[in-house]
Amino acid sequence: MKKLINDPFDMVEEMVEGYVAANDHIIKRVGKRSIARANSPIQGKVGIVVGGGSGHLPAFAGYVGKGMADGAAFGNVFASPPAKPVIEATLAVNGGAGVMYTYGNYQGDCINFDKAQDKCREMGIKVQTVVLNDDVLSAPKDQAHKRRGIGGLFLVWHVAGAKAEQMASLDEVVAVTNKANANTRTVGVGLTSCIVPANGKPTFSLADDEIEIGLGIHGEPGIKRVKIRPIDSVIDEIMDAILADLDYKGSDVALLVNGLGGTPAEELYVVYRRVKQICDANKINIKFKHVGNQVTALEMQGTSVSLLRLDSEMHDLIKNTTVDTCMYKKV
Amino acid sequence: MANVTGALIAKSLVLVAKKVEQNKDYLCELDGEVGDGDHGVSMTIGVRAVSRAAKDLPANCTPSEAFQSAADAFADEVGATIGPLYEAAFAAAAESVKGKQTLNEIGDWAIVYRSMANAIQVLGKAQLGDKTLLDAFFPAVDHIQALATKGGDLESALLSTAERALKAAKDTRNLVALKGRASRLGDRAKGHQDAGATSLAVVLKGFADGVKKG
Repeated sequence: MKKLINDPFDMVEEMVEGYVAANDHIIKRVGKRSIARANSPIQGKVGIVVGGGSGHLPAFAGYVGKGMADGAAFGNVFASPPAKPVIEATLAVNGGAGVMYTYGNYQGDCINFDKAQDKCREMGIKVQTVVLNDDVLSAPKDQAHKRRGIGGLFLVWHVAGAKAEQMASLDEVVAVTNKANANTRTVGVGLTSCIVPANGKPTFSLADDEIEIGLGIHGEPGIKRVKIRPIDSVIDEIMDAILADLDYKGSDVALLVNGLGGTPAEELYVVYRRVKQICDANKINIKFKHVGNQVTALEMQGTSVSLLRLDSEMHDLIKNTTVDTCMYKKV
Repeated sequence: MANVTGALIAKSLVLVAKKVEQNKDYLCELDGEVGDGDHGVSMTIGVRAVSRAAKDLPANCTPSEAFQSAADAFADEVGATIGPLYEAAFAAAAESVKGKQTLNEIGDWAIVYRSMANAIQVLGKAQLGDKTLLDAFFPAVDHIQALATKGGDLESALLSTAERALKAAKDTRNLVALKGRASRLGDRAKGHQDAGATSLAVVLKGFADGVKKG
């Protein structure tokens, strides 16, 4: 294992210390593993608290700042944070209008965030939760509630953050976040494994000529392993799965071609080229487009494609909101 | 025979931690086959905190206080799914022996283990056969319960209970996962031994060895 670290068991602690110092114009530390916007709590604004395991930056802490999230909790690598940092972030961002938790659908995150939610409600804070489940291939359509949350969170949080920035009520922010989640689909493909630092070895192995379709962002196995082949035909398969799950034909969309951490930007543009061709052929109008590493899996090579089907409300929210977070900006 | 005081349980927790950490790579390997490969890491982070807390306990602590310190350690340091599960388990263990100064009877440990397994089931909502740590824990609980009725020597009862858990953990190879990350794999998880069931067997072995050492 070659990584820019000291003791692997100190990695998250040292990362958080550096992260907070590097972004101290945007955020403040509110606990050992929790951060909040520097100017929080903002009176009358719904606070959005995100979080999950480390190893996915820019997700999740990277989106704390104006226009997206207000606070975040860091877990260990690929492990949900305990309830404690979630509670710390909640207390820090609660400006009286309530707090929304939003995170990907994993058992650990659900248990720990629910525990934090219970505790904060006992303290009299209004808390609601929207769990994201955009990963099409992680469960069949009739069991969509079991699907994992992956790259699509970047698009959903755009909408959620914009609504909260307009000083909407907690119910309104929750409603639009649910709507965005319901209209978002993602499929990924992994080319290599990744190394959890404290483990020191690759999580799994893929042969040199194999890729895995549907691979999760923690290296969870996908639905099938296939021989490496020209990427256009892989993207065709990914887009087929997305378009078969939700009717995007003729719609306006926000789109993310996401890198998993170890794939060069050049390759992501080759992917985007094919995605664009398929959208054009299906009369899908790309209103907002993003190409780059957003929801990563350490140094894993691969990509995921996410589409958010927009209505006029979600379109205008994204269009009219300035975003200035630690790791993502939009004018 | 050992007198199982709170101090001895604290010493046993340190031993549990040592054993789990020794198995870190093996547990990660098992988890990597079907999950995300970090089970050994999460458990190690947890038991390191457990070990630190156990060493800080006063010599006259009760068994309940020793178990509660392990619950608090898991609550603050681990996260993931396993953090809250072990927190709940150790908190239930603490509750189940409140007021007791020693756990010298097999029946005491039957109560401790059953409380732990029940708490895990309530929080994790898994059933027997879902390929989780409960598939190692419940057979072990039944085993020690039977021994408690029959009567006998505590040290060998704890050892054979740990062995029963290990055998049951190995038998999870035949199960299809219905909980956790591996549940999305369906039949692909068959043939793989569950990492959580395996670490549970390691934990029980740690208690058995700790009590035996005295």
